[in-house]
This record gives sequence, structure tokens and C-alpha cells, in this order.
Amino acid sequence: MKLGLVIDLDTCVGCHACATACKEWNGASAISGPLTDDDPYGADPAGVWFNRVRHYEVGTYPASKTVNVPMSCMHCEDAACVTVCPTGASYKRKDGIVLVDQDKCMGCNLCAWACPYGARELDPSSGTMKKCTLCVDRIHDTSLPEPERQPACVLACPAHARFFGDFDDPASQVSRLSAERGGFGMLPQLGYKPVNRYLPPREPPVVARDADERGPASADAGSALARLVDAARRFAAR
Amino acid sequence: MKPALSVVLFTVLSGAGLGVLALTGCVALFGLPWLFPERLPHATALGLALTVAGLLSSTLHLANPRNAWRAFARFRTSWLSREGVFSLLLVASAAMFAALLYAGADASLRAGFAVLTIALAWTVLVCTAMIYAGLKPIRQWRTPWTPVAYFVLGHLSGALILLGIARVDASNSVRLAHLCLVLVVLAVAVKALYWRAIRAPRDALTLEQAIGVPQGVRPAGTSGTPTAMQARLFDAGHTGRTFLTDEFGFRLARRHRGVLLAAFWLLGIVAPLVWVAGAWWQTPVVVAACAAHLGGLLAERALFFADARHTVRLYHGDART
Repeated sequence: MKLGLVIDLDTCVGCHACATACKEWNGASAISGPLTDDDPYGADPAGVWFNRVRHYEVGTYPASKTVNVPMSCMHCEDAACVTVCPTGASYKRKDGIVLVDQDKCMGCNLCAWACPYGARELDPSSGTMKKCTLCVDRIHDTSLPEPERQPACVLACPAHARFFGDFDDPASQVSRLSAERGGFGMLPQLGYKPVNRYLPPREPPVVARDADERGPASADAGSALARLVDAARRFAAR
Repeated sequence: MKPALSVVLFTVLSGAGLGVLALTGCVALFGLPWLFPERLPHATALGLALTVAGLLSSTLHLANPRNAWRAFARFRTSWLSREGVFSLLLVASAAMFAALLYAGADASLRAGFAVLTIALAWTVLVCTAMIYAGLKPIRQWRTPWTPVAYFVLGHLSGALILLGIARVDASNSVRLAHLCLVLVVLAVAVKALYWRAIRAPRDALTLEQAIGVPQGVRPAGTSGTPTAMQARLFDAGHTGRTFLTDEFGFRLARRHRGVLLAAFWLLGIVAPLVWVAGAWWQTPVVVAACAAHLGGLLAERALFFADARHTVRLYHGDART
């Protein structure tokens, strides 16, 4: 089994619903919760998140596009965070999920240094490292109705930009989507073999610029008043 | 990377301690006339004290130190775990070696522990450096020059401290002074090569590569290969600090970098060079020169951290690592 996520960079609207749903579910989770906040009502708040969404501008105006990039643990096949861990707190399960045993972690930060994606965050209140669990306490919970046995981020996404499944099964939705849309793993140069796949953004439309591309105003464009009169005339003629 | 004082102190102090232990082991093993034999236990004890002080300082870096005893578990894959195991063996071996020197035990037993202490001191030095050199996301650390620099600088500070001990009772330490000068030259060469290696943008990763749009996106209506396009951070998604910005977002002001660099050259290199070449063997000068050298190495180690740019910085808007 190789459980992981597919994230569609073309349809992600960057709303942070996945990140907040993650914080809500995992904050109360027994796996590695709580996701504590440091100085939450003060001047300099900070807190533990398993999933962060960042926004980029790709290309140059007018052929540019906003690309929203949600990032959480990639559950790498060759996870250096696991091999550098001196205590054995970091481990990879048979289903591919990388977890931190909160009872063994000594908070040395080395796994966070070894992760190129910034997927791990130290919780200063417990002194232990915390990270995405792929909602291991949801996906295998047979007491939940089957459609709900998915990570909280996937269920919350209003744009349907997130998918969960087994990449070892070539017939799974995640495998098919990744194959059809040219899914890629992040920073393959480093050789960590990240499991999560990102579907690339589609091409941005060419936007005409007012100054040089629209040309002279056509006769029927007219003023707002003329369009209103025209609409009223057509309404009356019905 | 944020230069944490506990880790900077740890690598400098235990580096010096391990250098002292390895060199003292060599002196005892080969019967070198660098130190009077009755000083050997003192030198070993000082090396041991520096190493243990460094190791204790490193535990201050842990956010959950009550689990520190578990750090010996992953010897097979983790350089940090290996360092822990070998440090423990080294402390036992060096303590035994010092005790045998005090007691004046028979030569073969002393030689055995000398060899063991030398081997373990070298192993721990390499393990410490490999904790950093093994991290793929930090190209400024992932170079063969990292372990070479740790090894040479550890031996340089060890040799200088040993020279200080030797001069207290004016033993015949000309050869040891020569070794110090050779190590100073080596240290300068290794650090120069290290800085040259990390300046080369050969292995640098870009923001475009990090978010998976190395070619950018193709404008509609065009075909063929997409033209290279630039990406830039529009919004990091958070308004405050995070663990990631605290840990990886550290930026050293240029003038502070200049101060640290000057401290390394003046205190770490020039001060001991003047001391050894000028042959000022008064005790206060010896102590001041050794302290200045260690101060210089602290500056060098702080720079080693401050200059390291983790790939997470790309996601926060850096154009390249």
C-alpha cells in the first residue's frame, strides 16, 4: 500500500479550508494532537499546522497565473526524516504513512532539517515533533461511513482539488488522475520519492491589454445607458 | 538556519576536546617528547572535560530532553544516534585511558586504550560533521568539505590547547608548535575551499523547481515547449511567524556577517598564529590565545549555520538556495 494525496494545482482556489479542517480534526486527535498555538491572542501568535497553503505568481503579466500550493507531508518512499531520527520516534507504516511516536520523540529537530518540504513542525508545549498523519485515525476507522474514511483536508476541499487513495493500485482514482494529468512529485532532484502528486496548472488565457490590443470601440458597444435601453426594448418585444 | 548557541558551543567545545584526546593519544602511543609524561593524564582529563561539556551543551538543544536516552536506538541509519553511541564509548575509553596514565599501568594496556581513544575521537568528530553533511535539503552543508573542516578545526584547537599545556613546564614542544602552524595553514585552506564550494551555484535549486513549474506555465494558443518563466511568492499564507520561519528563515545582516567573519580570521587564525610564531609562553598569554582561538571558532560555527539555506526557504519566496 502507498497511501497519499493528489492535489490539483489547477483547481485549487487557495481558500485554506484544507488547512483549517486539518487543524480542527488533528487538534482533537489522539495521534499527535493537540496542535497547540503559541501566544494565540497576543501580538505575536504562532502555532502548529500540518498543512500550509502558499500562493505564487507564475509567469509575467498578462500571461501570468496565480498558483496556490497546499503542502503537507509527502509520505516519501525514501523518507530521510525517518532515517535521521536517532530515537526511532519517526517511523513509516506498511501502508506508507509516516508518523511520529509522541512518546519517543526528544525534540532534536533533525527530522525537520532533513525534510525539504517543511512538513514537520515542533510543538513547543510538548517539545515533540508533529506532522500530517494522513488522518490515520479516520481512513481506517470502520465505524465511519465509507465515504467519510478520508483525510479531513480532502473532505473539506470545496473546489474538489484534493484526492486520497492508494498509489500502489493502478486502478485507483489517485493513480489514474496522476497518469492522465501528468502528476508530479515535488523536488524529485533530492531523491526522497515523495508519494503525494501535484497536477500541474493548465495554461493561463491570454488577456487583452486595454492600451494595445482591444482596438477601437465598436458601434454596438455603446454606453451603459444605451445597453439598458436596448435591453428594455428587447424585453418589451417579447 | 538559526545558529542555536547550544549547538554552536557543542560542536566547537567537543571538537576541541576530541582534538586534544586524539593528539594526546598519539603522544602517549608513540612516546613523542611534546609533553612531559606526567602531564599526559592532565591533558586527557582536559580533553575529556571539553568533550563532555560540549555533549552536555548539545542536550540543551533538545525540546524534550527526558527522551534523550532513546537517542541510541537508531544506530544503523542515524548519524546523530551513531554520534551518541560513539560518544559514550569515547567517554568511557578516555576516562579509562586517563586513569591508566595516572596509575602508571603497564605500557601495552596504555597503548591499547590510546589506540581506542584515538579511533573513537576521530569517529565521533566524523559523526558530528555527518549529521550536517548528510542533510540533502541544505546544500551549504552537504559537501565533503564539511567533515574535512570539522576534522581539521577540531585538531587545530586540540593542538593549540595541548601546546598551551606543554608550555606550562617548558617541555620540548617545537614539533608541536610546528604541527600547530601546519594545522593553521590547513584550516585556512579547507575553509577557503569550503566557501568556494558553497558559492558555486551548481547544485542550487530554484523557487520554480520547488513548486514544480520549472518551465512555468504555457500561455494559451502557443504550442511546443513552454518558455522559461519566473515564479514569485505572492502570499506566504500566514501573517505571523511559524516554526518554519523561526527555524529556517534566519537571515544574517551583512554587517553582522562581516563581524563574524572578522572574528574567525582575527581570533581563530591570526591570534594563535602570532602566539605560536612569537613564542610568548607566559601563562596569561597562553590562556588568552587559546580562548581567543575558541572564540574565533564559535564565530566560524555560527556562520556555518547562518550561511545554510534550507529548501523550505524557496517555498517562502527565496529565488534560489
